[in-house]
Amino acid sequence: MDTTQLLKGVLDLAVLAVLREEDGYGYDILRRLREAGLEEVGDASVYGTLRRLFAAGLLTTYVVPSESGPHRKYYALNAAGRDQLTRSGKLWRSFATTMDSLLDDQGRAA
Amino acid sequence: MTVTEQEITDYVARVRAALADLPAAQRDELTEDLPDHLAEVAAEAEGTLIERLGEPETYAAELRAAAGAPAGGRNLDQRVASAVVRARRRLRVLDTRLGPPLGYETASDFLRLLRPGWWVLRGYLAAMLVTVLSTGGSFGLLPRFGGELLAGLIMLIGFLLVSIWIGRRSPRLSRWPRWALHAGSLVLVVFALASLIQAEDRMRYGDYGYDPISVDDPYERVRDVFVYDSEGRLVENARLFDQNGDPIRLGYPDCADLADAYGGKPVLRAYPYCPDQAPFGPRAPGAPVPTVESVPDPTGLPQADPNPGPTSTPTSTPPATPTGTPTAAPNPTATR
Repeated sequence: MDTTQLLKGVLDLAVLAVLREEDGYGYDILRRLREAGLEEVGDASVYGTLRRLFAAGLLTTYVVPSESGPHRKYYALNAAGRDQLTRSGKLWRSFATTMDSLLDDQGRAA
Repeated sequence: MTVTEQEITDYVARVRAALADLPAAQRDELTEDLPDHLAEVAAEAEGTLIERLGEPETYAAELRAAAGAPAGGRNLDQRVASAVVRARRRLRVLDTRLGPPLGYETASDFLRLLRPGWWVLRGYLAAMLVTVLSTGGSFGLLPRFGGELLAGLIMLIGFLLVSIWIGRRSPRLSRWPRWALHAGSLVLVVFALASLIQAEDRMRYGDYGYDPISVDDPYERVRDVFVYDSEGRLVENARLFDQNGDPIRLGYPDCADLADAYGGKPVLRAYPYCPDQAPFGPRAPGAPVPTVESVPDPTGLPQADPNPGPTSTPTSTPPATPTGTPTAAPNPTATR
C-alpha cells in the first residue's frame, strides 16, 4: 500500500484542512499540501478535488487579479465546508486511533 | 513564462478528449477552470506543462479519480490513445538509444538528414508505378510512359520535382492531405518491395525482363526446297536468288548419295536436294502416271535450264536417267 492509495480517501479532508487557515488558489494549495508532507499528491488530484468540493457546495471562489501573470481563482471554506471539515476530522481521528491501536496490538503480538 | 497559450489549449484539449466518455455537462464542469488553473501552474515554475504535469491522458485519469467521476471502464478511444502514448514513449527511448551508435544524438536526427533522399526515391517510385500501370507487365529500370522512354523520362523529372516540393511542404499540410500522403507513400513502398523481389527472382534465373520472344530462324526447319511450275510439275535444279543476286541457301542436302557429284560442296547444289522426297506428286489428268517421277538426278548443272520448258525435250535433260519425267511432261500440254 502506498501513500497514493491512502490519499484517495483523505484528500478531501486534507484540502479542507489546508483551506481552514487561509484561502488559496490551486497551485498554492498543492504547494501547501506538499510542504505539509504529502509529497505524492498530484496537481490533477488537487484540481479535481477542488472542483468536486466546489460542486458539492463546500467552497466558494473569488478571482484575484495579479500584476504579474494570470488571474488567480481563490478557494475559501464556507459554512458548509467548515461543518464538513469538523465532521470529517472527527471521523478521521477515530479511524486513525483505531488503526493505531490495531497496529500497536499487532506490534505487541509480533 | 515558458508555457504558451497554445500549449495550454492543446493540453486542455487532450484532457477533454480523454474524458470524452463523461456526460458533456460533467466534463465541462471538470474542465471549465482548467485553462486558468494551468496558466497559474505555468506561472509558478519553469518547464513545459507535460514535463511538470505528465501526459494529459494521465492527468485526466487522475482528475477523473479525484473528482469522483465514474471511472468507468475506459472506452476504446482512450485505450487506443493510451496505447499510442505508451508506444510513443517507447519509440522516444529507442530513438535516443539508437542515436549514439549512428553518431547522432538521436536516430531521428540521422533519419531527418535522409528525408530529401526519400523524396527523390519517392518521385522515382511513382514514375515506375505509372510505368508499370501504363506499359503493363514487364519493365526495366528506367520509367516509360506507355512504352515511350522519352515521355517516361519527362514524367520522371516532373514527379521528382513534385515529390520534392511536397516533401518541403509536408510539415505544413493539414490532417487529411497528410494522411493521403502517408497512404500514397505506403503504396509506393509496398510497390517497391514487390518489384525488388520480382527483380531479384528474374536476376537469379538469368533472364532479365525479356519475354521469351523467339529469335530463331523461321526457316530453321526447312531441309529442302521444292519448286513447282504453273502446271504443277516439279522443277528440277531450281536456284533461288535474292534481289542482290545472292543465292538463297536453305536446308541441307540429306541425300548423301549425291553430295559427291558437286565435289562435296553442297552450296553449289540446286533445289531440290532430294527430288524423291517431293511432297506433291505430278498432276495426272489422263494418263497413268508413274508415281516415282522425280527419279532424274540433277547430275548436270548446265542442264538445269531445259527442265522448266520441257514439253518436247524429254531426252535432253537426262543423260543418264530417262524414266518418268518425259511422259509426265507431255500430258498437260495435251489436255489444254
